Amino acid sequence: MNNTLLELKNISYKDENNLILNKINLKINSGEKIALLGKSGSGKTTLLSVLNGTIKPTQGEVKLLNKNFEELDRKQKSKITTIWQDLRLIEDLSAEQNVNCGLLAENNFYFAFKNLLNLSSFKKAHKFMQLCRLHNSIYDKKIRKLSGGQKQRVAIARSLIQGSDILLADEPFNNLDPKLITIIKNLLLENLDKNNTKKSPKTVIVSLHRLDLLNDFDKVIGIKDGKIFFNIKRINLKKLHLDKIY
Amino acid sequence: MNKLKLNYTSLSFLPILVCIPLGYQLLTNIHFGGFILFQEFLISAFNPKIDNEIIINVINRLNETILIGFFSWLVSIIFGAIFGILSSNIFYKIFNIPNLFCGIIRIFLTMVRSIHEVVWGILLMQIYGINFSVGIIAICIPYIAVNSKVFAEQLETIDYKIIESINQINAPKFSSLLTLIWNPIINTFKNFGLYRLECSIRSTVILGLFGIGGIGTSIFLSFQTLNFRELWTYLWSLAILIILSGLIFKKLKFKTTNKILSIFFIAVFFITILLSFSYFLNFIFNNNFENFNSVSSLFKSSSDLGLFDFLKLILETIILSLLSTGIAISLPPLVIGIFNNNTSKTFIKFFAFLLRLIPTPILILTLLTFNNPSLSLAALTLGLHNAGITSKILFKNLDSQDKRNYIAMKSLGISKKTSWLLGLFSQQAKSYLAYCAYRSDIIIRETAIVGVIGSVGLGWQLQESLSSFAWQEVTMVLIAYSSIAIFGELINGKIKNSLT
Repeated sequence: MNNTLLELKNISYKDENNLILNKINLKINSGEKIALLGKSGSGKTTLLSVLNGTIKPTQGEVKLLNKNFEELDRKQKSKITTIWQDLRLIEDLSAEQNVNCGLLAENNFYFAFKNLLNLSSFKKAHKFMQLCRLHNSIYDKKIRKLSGGQKQRVAIARSLIQGSDILLADEPFNNLDPKLITIIKNLLLENLDKNNTKKSPKTVIVSLHRLDLLNDFDKVIGIKDGKIFFNIKRINLKKLHLDKIY
Repeated sequence: MNKLKLNYTSLSFLPILVCIPLGYQLLTNIHFGGFILFQEFLISAFNPKIDNEIIINVINRLNETILIGFFSWLVSIIFGAIFGILSSNIFYKIFNIPNLFCGIIRIFLTMVRSIHEVVWGILLMQIYGINFSVGIIAICIPYIAVNSKVFAEQLETIDYKIIESINQINAPKFSSLLTLIWNPIINTFKNFGLYRLECSIRSTVILGLFGIGGIGTSIFLSFQTLNFRELWTYLWSLAILIILSGLIFKKLKFKTTNKILSIFFIAVFFITILLSFSYFLNFIFNNNFENFNSVSSLFKSSSDLGLFDFLKLILETIILSLLSTGIAISLPPLVIGIFNNNTSKTFIKFFAFLLRLIPTPILILTLLTFNNPSLSLAALTLGLHNAGITSKILFKNLDSQDKRNYIAMKSLGISKKTSWLLGLFSQQAKSYLAYCAYRSDIIIRETAIVGVIGSVGLGWQLQESLSSFAWQEVTMVLIAYSSIAIFGELINGKIKNSLT
């Protein structure tokens, strides 16, 4: 059975005069946990941005569930959630309001309004913040007042609360201590729905720099100069592969 | 010989050179006919008229001023925010609408704000006659456009990456928009909105001088009857109102976390929009046009204004703006630098307050008591009034600045004036010039007020054309005014960008 969830066909992306992605072909199946490896500037972030639809490739097709990205409706697009490398939180909102932003897609305008006025319920948000080991004393603190690690976990909680089928994460373990890295990694690779209960396998693509975190991933993709150098099962990963991209 | 090096500090002082031609013309135009009147005007400041009758009159007139000022502020700040959103890129990015519409709205708003509220007021008074509503609408029209620019500028500071991330959540478009703009809008309102109330009250006073009502009308009538003691009673009461409102604003703190207060503000927001629309429609359909029966009268009227005269008026307006801007930029740092001690500072602050307090038409009429009407006199008036405003900003910035450099220089034996210049002012010069660039936008628009009273430039021509119902001329003057203001705004925008 063909269970391809995301597909990139001959994708290239040019930024001004630089070719950042060069003819990339990739198939991602439902439930796969993929680690994306590569040096800084190799094109990992751009590839994730193409996958979530924020960047339109200059050439090629991106398909989600066999449909071109442009043909998808809002609900279908919301199957993808992203943890950005630069977090992209709203600095003037509190931590809990930022996490609640993850629920905007499934709620109406009135919810957004209540969220900004602190009139909405933060129960769900608090649940996910607890999972990310955020202390309740920071729930109502503005983002600008949080530490780097706290901000990182707020961004993770905001993505997890969306309960999307596909999670894209760009170096999500930055700013975290080793103990928190283990907890957050398990959280990202576990399959939680909005009510914090397990559900069908979630597809996860994480860009990484630390090789010791590769356990628990099914596949590893190596990228260099905008090209995919290898796309293999984790158990088949050899030093030879890593030498090609680093 | 050492060459003068152009830096932000020297650029702040250089424009004072405008005083050379200005001073020459003022000296040649001096007359002694009104010195006694001027003396009486000054003495009356210390001896204002106080009796029951005038106190009741002051209260009634202040009530009118506050009402016109408050309603025009409320409507202009709310619609300013709405137009600010509509003229910011964020709206078009969220809704995937071509930016062309954004450009069209921006051009429209630039044209609207290029014409001063006094011009709108005079124009509307000619069409609808004198009434309370004309005052509110005349202030609202340019204020909405000015406020929208400030709101739009704040919305443009939202990081594009955050817009991307909210878009990526795939929420309903309006939810995304609201989440992104909420805080910039609230913060702009907190930092800028209350200041605009003070501006709105000042504009109400100036429009009052032209007959709209409120304390401005009383001030003008007192001046016309040369009742200076009464005039100063009104001016001091206005000063008390401005100082009190300033103190109240300092105490006011809006907490967006206060749920009841937030709901109250939102209710006010929607009720104001509804009432404004119904009020505006009622005004349009229930008002008889006093002098402007149809649009066709615009085309029936002819213009006797020759091209040469018209170009001369445009040139006069431009020179008037440049001379006034020169004074407004250089006078405050020069005076503060020369008289650099605590007693002088208090005196300068008080004098600057008076320059801000006395409406420009009254200021120019006072100066006319010993000088013939001329371009220089109009420029001096406008320059002095705006120097009162720029000096307030300069004092505020200098007072809050770290003084360690200044103290260190003084301890090295460097003179107090040089230490002030290099240790204090030089660090403020850049931001001060950036503010002055913004201020010069306003000066261009304000040339209309002094023009009307001081018989100079397009402002004077506008008054003349309106009085003779020469609508074609009025249109030409308005287009010329608008073009100068837009051109000035473009240049100042470039200067501001290079300074910030």
